[in-house]
Amino acid sequence: MIFNSLDFAIFLPIVFFLYWFVCNKTVARQNVLVVVASYVFYGWWDYRFLALILFSTIVDFGIGRLLLRTDVQKKRKLLLGISISINLGLLGFFKYYNFFADSFVDVFRFFGQTIQANTLDIILPVGISFYTFQTLSYTIDVYRKKLEPTSNFIEFAAFVSFFPQLVAGPIERATNLLPQFRQKRVFKYAEAMDGVYLVIWGLFKKVVIADNCAFFVNQIFNTPGQFSSLELFLGAVLFGFQIYGDFSGYSDIAIGTSRLFGLKLLTNFRFPYFSRDIAEFWRRWHISLSNWFRDYLYIPFGGSRGSKGEQIRNVFIIFLVSGLWHGANWTYVIWGGIHAILFLPLILFNAHKKYLVKTKMTSAQIPFMLLTFIMVTIAWIYFRSDTVDIANAYLGSLFYNLDVFSLDLFYNSSKSLLFSVISFTGILILLIMEFLNAKKGHEEVRLSFTTALGVMIIIVFMGTFKNPQDFIYFQF
Amino acid sequence: MKKFIKKTSVLLVLLLVVTQLVSFFSLYILRQSTFYKPNFLVNGLKRDNYDYVILGASTGLTTLDSKLIDSITNLQGVNLSMDDTNLASHYLMLKHFIAEGKTLKYCIIAPSNMSYNVSQTPLSNNDYRFLMYINRDYVLDHYSHFKSDTAKRLYYSKWFPFLGLSYYNTELFYPSLISAIKPHKRNRFDDLGNYSYPTHKNRMTKVKKKEAIVVSFESDYLKKIKLLCDAYQIKLICYLSPTESQPIDVYSKDYLFINHSNLIKNSDLFYDDIHVNGKGRQVASEAFSKVFMDIVE
Repeated sequence: MIFNSLDFAIFLPIVFFLYWFVCNKTVARQNVLVVVASYVFYGWWDYRFLALILFSTIVDFGIGRLLLRTDVQKKRKLLLGISISINLGLLGFFKYYNFFADSFVDVFRFFGQTIQANTLDIILPVGISFYTFQTLSYTIDVYRKKLEPTSNFIEFAAFVSFFPQLVAGPIERATNLLPQFRQKRVFKYAEAMDGVYLVIWGLFKKVVIADNCAFFVNQIFNTPGQFSSLELFLGAVLFGFQIYGDFSGYSDIAIGTSRLFGLKLLTNFRFPYFSRDIAEFWRRWHISLSNWFRDYLYIPFGGSRGSKGEQIRNVFIIFLVSGLWHGANWTYVIWGGIHAILFLPLILFNAHKKYLVKTKMTSAQIPFMLLTFIMVTIAWIYFRSDTVDIANAYLGSLFYNLDVFSLDLFYNSSKSLLFSVISFTGILILLIMEFLNAKKGHEEVRLSFTTALGVMIIIVFMGTFKNPQDFIYFQF
Repeated sequence: MKKFIKKTSVLLVLLLVVTQLVSFFSLYILRQSTFYKPNFLVNGLKRDNYDYVILGASTGLTTLDSKLIDSITNLQGVNLSMDDTNLASHYLMLKHFIAEGKTLKYCIIAPSNMSYNVSQTPLSNNDYRFLMYINRDYVLDHYSHFKSDTAKRLYYSKWFPFLGLSYYNTELFYPSLISAIKPHKRNRFDDLGNYSYPTHKNRMTKVKKKEAIVVSFESDYLKKIKLLCDAYQIKLICYLSPTESQPIDVYSKDYLFINHSNLIKNSDLFYDDIHVNGKGRQVASEAFSKVFMDIVE
């Protein structure tokens, strides 16, 4: 079930009603409802995947209980190892088996050897990367004794499967979400209204920004050789807004929906395109994943302690793994590598903490924002391209092209012109709203009743409903 | 909770009111315009009596030039074809034509050639162009015949026009804005409903000639068109347009047909596999006129 569907528009009010009016007597009932609703939500794609999420839930719940019973370090390590192996094993099998098999064959071919590798016809379960990381965070935190393991299976199942964030995050931390499933939830008017407004804003980002930008992005990235340098550049820029609208829109809807149920999710995006350097970009983009990698990979490796060489190694590990997390394709690994390279000067000159999220924005910093945006945009070319060769060709055509300034694609037919107007108007509205909210120090766009109504009207008349695009991050 | 329900309800009601008003207004503007063929039929046709009308899909639109046919045959005709439509749409267009009190002697049906064999015709992609006439029974009836979600959305637009307007916002809402400024603007067709593809080819590779296939006029909607024509003493002619690679054999005693699927051999006269270009249109229209004159005489 996707958020921008009629199914969800019917599903959500039903669950909301049952949650607050039928199951409101006890927390346990509400949790059962959350689990049932989440399994219905997830099973809407393919009921067979439910077995996988149930298996993952049982394993990590069980390991959490076993970790509580023992203080023997060796045994605890073994249990943690089992959890990590099972979770990453599932992820590796469903997501990376074919990738590694193909890559293995390519390496042998490079050295003049021919080997056969059997690839499998595997369907990637929706959201597996998200809930795998979420359950892993639970066992790691229990292992580190930062979290008391729960003895309530339903509570844990609700934490793993909570439908708003199940398939595309934010990747919740057990320390944040799990305790909320223990507490009695009280309906708060202001919080719920904020949730509604955030859902509306998320829908705007998805159906007005992302899905309209897709009209040009798909054309340009399918045949990059046919377009001028300027069109290619705008294609990459539009993809930047498409993926931002798509992914942060999903997060907004997820966070807003959770608030309707009295549950607070982690912030996942904080106006990333106003970042003044790459380090700040990663403090504002997909924050739940960045923090996950920081806490469970970067810091255990030494983080920013140690020598410069070690710091650089740690940065590369984080970004390359982050790239691979996104998808089983070398394009993602290179995308991660580019970000690591862009990060390097900041590490070398100890400037990676120059711009924190709360550092005040000034107009003098606009050139740095633009520079960061352009660097991020260039990296998106690898993220969006199907293969490294296509991405290289795209970059080649961007910089070496006989046709430099043509913008035909954006106005060569009435349809193109219309989509140009809608896409760029939508982006302008987005940037203005975000800038105003960022200036006020908000973490998210806050709408008033009137602006919410205005945004909804814009959604109706500027949104894409006839050819809706899947949320991009579902594939991860 | 009460306050929350009240406020979200007010928000939804206001949204409904505003979008309904905008949608009613958009459809009203389109009803006054000549933007799409159904509006052109109502507001753009100068005559009430025609010798012939061409009802077709993109093939009918781009192959038969009613201006050229008129000049050769001395008849008066109009091309009411729309791209990406099928026989169900042509049936609706014929009803629309008759409902407007206009008359014709010959109805030339020119769908994509294979449409003749489709026994269960679906809703076509461009049937939303009749949405501004949703209050007319035959339009509502048309949408009600199909089971798809799109058809339902169009059907319920009678009461909630924002359903259709939001789904087809780029196709209906924005054209209504254009029509508000330029009421006589037509969506890529001339004053007699004609449109031509450019002379360049739409692809580089040469197509291979395929084996001829048989068209046997099994379409459910063709039967309906025939019945409607008979009821109004209109003579029905089924036209099969030239294709570059797919010759058609036709066997039918029930229908009068002109099979020009194999008429043009020269690849330079095609825009793509099933559409002729400007030059091809001239050749096809001249050939059609000749046969048509024989029928008329």
